[in-house]
Amino acid sequence: MHVIVATDGSRQSLAAAKHLKSFADPAKITTISVVAVIRPYAAVAFADDLSPAKATSADFDSLHFRDAADSATKAVAAVFDGWGPKVQVRIRSGSPASEIIKAAKQADAGLVVVAAGSRGLSDTVLLGSTAQRVQHSAPCPVLVVRPAPRKRKK
Amino acid sequence: MTDLDTPATRDAEGDGGLRRSITGRLLFFYVLGDVLGSGIYVLIGAVALAVGGAFWVAFAVGITVATITGLAYAELVTKYPQAAGAALYVNKAFDNRPLTFLITVCMLSASFAASGSLATGFASYFNEVWDLPPALLLTIAFIVLLSIVNFIGITESVVINMLMTFVEVAGLIIVMIIGVWYVLQGNADFGILVEFETESSPVLGVISGVALAFFAMTGFENAANVAEETVDPAKTFPRALIGGMVAAGVIYVLVAIAAALTVPLSGLQDAGANDKPALLEVVKEGIIPPPVGFMVILFSIIAMIAITNTTLVSVVTQSRILYGMAREDVVPGVFARIHSARRSPWVALLFSAVVVIGLLMSGADIARLATVTVVFTLFIYALVIVSALKLRGQDEDEDTFIAPLWLLVLGILGNLIVLTYVIYDDPGSLVYCAALLAVGLVLFLAEHFFGSRNSPGGNAVATSTVPKEI
Repeated sequence: MHVIVATDGSRQSLAAAKHLKSFADPAKITTISVVAVIRPYAAVAFADDLSPAKATSADFDSLHFRDAADSATKAVAAVFDGWGPKVQVRIRSGSPASEIIKAAKQADAGLVVVAAGSRGLSDTVLLGSTAQRVQHSAPCPVLVVRPAPRKRKK
Repeated sequence: MTDLDTPATRDAEGDGGLRRSITGRLLFFYVLGDVLGSGIYVLIGAVALAVGGAFWVAFAVGITVATITGLAYAELVTKYPQAAGAALYVNKAFDNRPLTFLITVCMLSASFAASGSLATGFASYFNEVWDLPPALLLTIAFIVLLSIVNFIGITESVVINMLMTFVEVAGLIIVMIIGVWYVLQGNADFGILVEFETESSPVLGVISGVALAFFAMTGFENAANVAEETVDPAKTFPRALIGGMVAAGVIYVLVAIAAALTVPLSGLQDAGANDKPALLEVVKEGIIPPPVGFMVILFSIIAMIAITNTTLVSVVTQSRILYGMAREDVVPGVFARIHSARRSPWVALLFSAVVVIGLLMSGADIARLATVTVVFTLFIYALVIVSALKLRGQDEDEDTFIAPLWLLVLGILGNLIVLTYVIYDDPGSLVYCAALLAVGLVLFLAEHFFGSRNSPGGNAVATSTVPKEI
């Protein structure tokens, strides 16, 4: 079975990858594709919260959203190091939900793993959650990993 | 670029894992939509006021200077597709941190002033449909709403972007149809097209018109935002950028001619003097059969969509610049803070909205804010062309697009002439320029004196937010 693990560079997406590893049987998974989607029209096309801090480039360089996506996918892929299945990373560009679905179709995936980003009010009020749209139109089962409920209000 | 060297991406090449999503056609529409919305819907009256009946000349000249600048951008983008705009080009060319910082703040300020001007233009059309809310309240609500939209991130749809561009073009086609209709009826007086009605000489009148018309062409540089995601940028980018600008330019000149022919000059000028939408006067003449009331509302809605589209891009640009600066550690790290779920730089968006609202509340009118934008952009454009020339001979391969040298020299001259005149003509705008630059300086000082704990930069900021999220 081919599994797509989506990451938006958030810590929640890393938690989703770990969750998959916590219960799935590596013998039944042939390949894991870690997919990141760059949103070219968004204010920040890709933000990587996962990679350890590295010295920023000394000069005003470009924002290198591709580099951010690249390091985020690698950070997620590292979760599956030595677990068994072949791990590959994919960086796509466009609207996250539709690109994740396309990736799932192309790979003939048996499972898509996504993180549901928000908790609380913004989750219910705001439309267009990527996780919602993926689980609505994915060609295969979808594992939506939700954040653990907060113990108290922040 | 290092893209191809990493094992991960080599692995991904097999089934197009490195796919980029912006094709030449999408980029063309992005440029066209971004350019069209900004100027003509908002500023045509002010330009008519400056030049007289021949104001299409001002648009033609402004567009030419801007398109030449576009050539320099195209050249630099083909060399450095990962670079997000003027600041990086200047940095590559001069390697001078203060200058790079200055140009970045100029970009930011230009974008702030442009948003303010566009918001005022939006309110003027809105009041044609529903004449109740006070304009200031409307403009503020407009900016707040667009910031929220960007926070949620629904503007990322490529399809919506294209649809909005189609709507923008449709509005201008309506104006052109009215013009053609009028000419076919045989009422047109083409003499108006060569009439200069300026306080001083026609040349100075045209230059001051050019300065305003120039605002109509700003926005194309935002295409650098998506350069990194463009398919085959060396080939597509110059074509789509220059194509989009030339298309916008032709539409502008035709619309300006149509407006000059159909509406008495005084009507356009009065509208320009009172921040009223002058382009709407064309529709109000009632030249084509559909009822005027209906057409006025339809056209106002189209104009509002056009202005919204361009303002959205400028809000994106502002927050992106702030985010980039925070990552580079020249402004406080909070601007790099990304909302955990929406993946948007919410602090940067919020701050941008506050600055733009401040501009709106200062009581500046459309022309003043447009002038401020133009002062900054002319400076940036001139410096970008200089950078393009300075970077000649470096990082070039057979795919690099090389702009003709004499055109670039002409472009620098054009930018500088207009810049000099704008400052001479409206020294009051310099107060606003200084205020906006001061905002940048304050941010820099804040980071310099209080931001040391955040070093070494954006990545530390990212980690510092982690404990709150777990």
